[in-house]
Amino acid sequence: MAATQFIVNGLLVGALFAAVAVGFALIWGVVDIINLAHGEMVMLGGYTSYWALTLVTGNAEGSPILFLATIPIAIGAMFVVGYALQRVLVSQVIGTDIFLTLLVTFGASIAIQQLAIQAWSANPRSIQVSFASPSFTVGGVVVPKMKLVAFVGAILLTVALYAFLQRTRTGRAIRAVSQNPEAAALVGIDVERTRAITFGLSSAIAGGVGAFIGVILNIQPQMGLIYTLKSFVIVVFGGVGSIPGAMVGGLLLGSVEELVAGFISSQWTLAVSFSLLIVLLVVKPKGLFGEG
Amino acid sequence: MSTETDDSGALRSLVPPEQIDRLFSVCDAHGWKLLAAGAVVGALPPVLGLQQGYIMTVLSEMYLFAVLALSWDIVGGQTGYPSFGNMAFFGIGAYTSGILFKDFAVAFPVAFLVAGVVATVFALFIGAIVLRLRGHYFAIATLGVLLAAQQVSRNLDITGGASGKILLNGPDGAVFYYLFLGLLVVEAAVVYYLSDTRFGFVLNAIRDDEGKATAMGFNTTYYKTAAWGIAALFTGFAGGAYSLFNTFINPQTAYNGAWNVELIAMALLGGSGTVAGPIIGAFGLHTIIELVESHAVGWQLVLLGLSVIVTVIAIPEGVVGSLREYASQMEYYKRGGMAATDDTAEDGDQPDDAPPAGGDSA
Repeated sequence: MAATQFIVNGLLVGALFAAVAVGFALIWGVVDIINLAHGEMVMLGGYTSYWALTLVTGNAEGSPILFLATIPIAIGAMFVVGYALQRVLVSQVIGTDIFLTLLVTFGASIAIQQLAIQAWSANPRSIQVSFASPSFTVGGVVVPKMKLVAFVGAILLTVALYAFLQRTRTGRAIRAVSQNPEAAALVGIDVERTRAITFGLSSAIAGGVGAFIGVILNIQPQMGLIYTLKSFVIVVFGGVGSIPGAMVGGLLLGSVEELVAGFISSQWTLAVSFSLLIVLLVVKPKGLFGEG
Repeated sequence: MSTETDDSGALRSLVPPEQIDRLFSVCDAHGWKLLAAGAVVGALPPVLGLQQGYIMTVLSEMYLFAVLALSWDIVGGQTGYPSFGNMAFFGIGAYTSGILFKDFAVAFPVAFLVAGVVATVFALFIGAIVLRLRGHYFAIATLGVLLAAQQVSRNLDITGGASGKILLNGPDGAVFYYLFLGLLVVEAAVVYYLSDTRFGFVLNAIRDDEGKATAMGFNTTYYKTAAWGIAALFTGFAGGAYSLFNTFINPQTAYNGAWNVELIAMALLGGSGTVAGPIIGAFGLHTIIELVESHAVGWQLVLLGLSVIVTVIAIPEGVVGSLREYASQMEYYKRGGMAATDDTAEDGDQPDDAPPAGGDSA
């Protein structure tokens, strides 16, 4: 029974990891960049929601509706940040050495993280939502309400992104750029702008998830790197450029972490995830769903 | 960047660019003299009566960072495998010497030597796994190794867990000063020597085109792993000395993520793929960071992040690389744009740090 509970917990949190990883995979697939500042978008999204709520209610507590209303704000703000990040920094190094692109985003990650510490201190914070307790109990398995809300929210964000990529003109342009930037430019797509929008969308979904993370876990300036690395594990697992792969990878990583936390100790979850990353890279670098 | 210019021996006819070229060229008597002069100047402060205090600590740390940056560059700059996890070797060295010294009462010199060896053994084991990866995958895998090592140290009992270990009664400051200086001089000499041997050439060949290097019959795995081992040896020594120098280690200080970026930034800022570059970068950036830290506590890491970004965008080749680029351009214009025809004659003089740009920090 314990195992079922851990897996349910894992799936609930895993959907959040998955949504973050989907954004990460999108940039990797379309712009061919590993965005090491991706986790900082989660962090900034969480803070945006936190401060928006604080602005309205005076402290970071509110009704569920009020909290949900801050999510579009976090999404919008992070879209702008991501768009600017690509336009101002990343576009300068696209097409040069891979390592330089990694370093630029890593530099951005450190600068954002440290500025956040200066602005908001290193203390962890969390968003309190009034109806959070009591939890549901379904067949002996406890399901905290807010985790369920966050789970649904993360899935909705991912589905919305997927639909956007499939259905809209901009989405088609993004897919075209991911397949062949030169050919896309030839047929009249503004590649630079499309890449910036991709960055914006990816950061927006990360920001939205950050708000949910603020409710069910907590937010602090240095949380970003962990989410970036988790995204990497998930994307490697699911295969670069595969959104369904990232979803499955996220749910799986969440379950593995909860099982490790439950049966061994929560102290070992990170060590296990990173070891898993290294093993995966060696054994199956193309991922389960990756082509080739 | 400009592939048509190659800063090789053709510079010799010019005065100012030639000075630049000579200063950073590889393996002629001039370089050895420069290194010896540096060692002598470095050895002076304690002799002149500066035994303790702030300046000595700062200088020791400066040498320490130069060792770390140069070690990173053996693999990151010379071989083209950019590691984000070098601090793992440092941390393992630091914990090895700390544990041996405190829990097993091993004398410091022995603990220090063992630290380097343990870090190297770990590196060879990890290297066998991660050096099979390239590009993004290698960079992230090494970052994963660093974080996994940090997590493991946090969870074990022998390392003192998250609260770490206090290490008192080690040697005094001057010992560490000379130790770090000695490490730097020895490492610079080793890298300098290697860059004019087949070993150094193969490392650069791997950076420029690993497939071709393999096709030429070199066992690139052997060379990569050996370079990785050398880098880990010096990083492990540095860590082994640092734990007692600092009199305290915990997972944050031993596997310092900020330092990990700092040492990469130093190598890049100075000019990766050269011997002088990482050292110059370490001295320069450490001075700046130290100044910021003493005037605006907490902002030094913001500065670090920004300096990484600016370096990568403005001078991806680093100070030394840019100067050499400048030297070769002067030569190019002086010769009416025909310099490229001459580069075969004396190419062998300086294969180390003159990959015609672009591949420099690959």
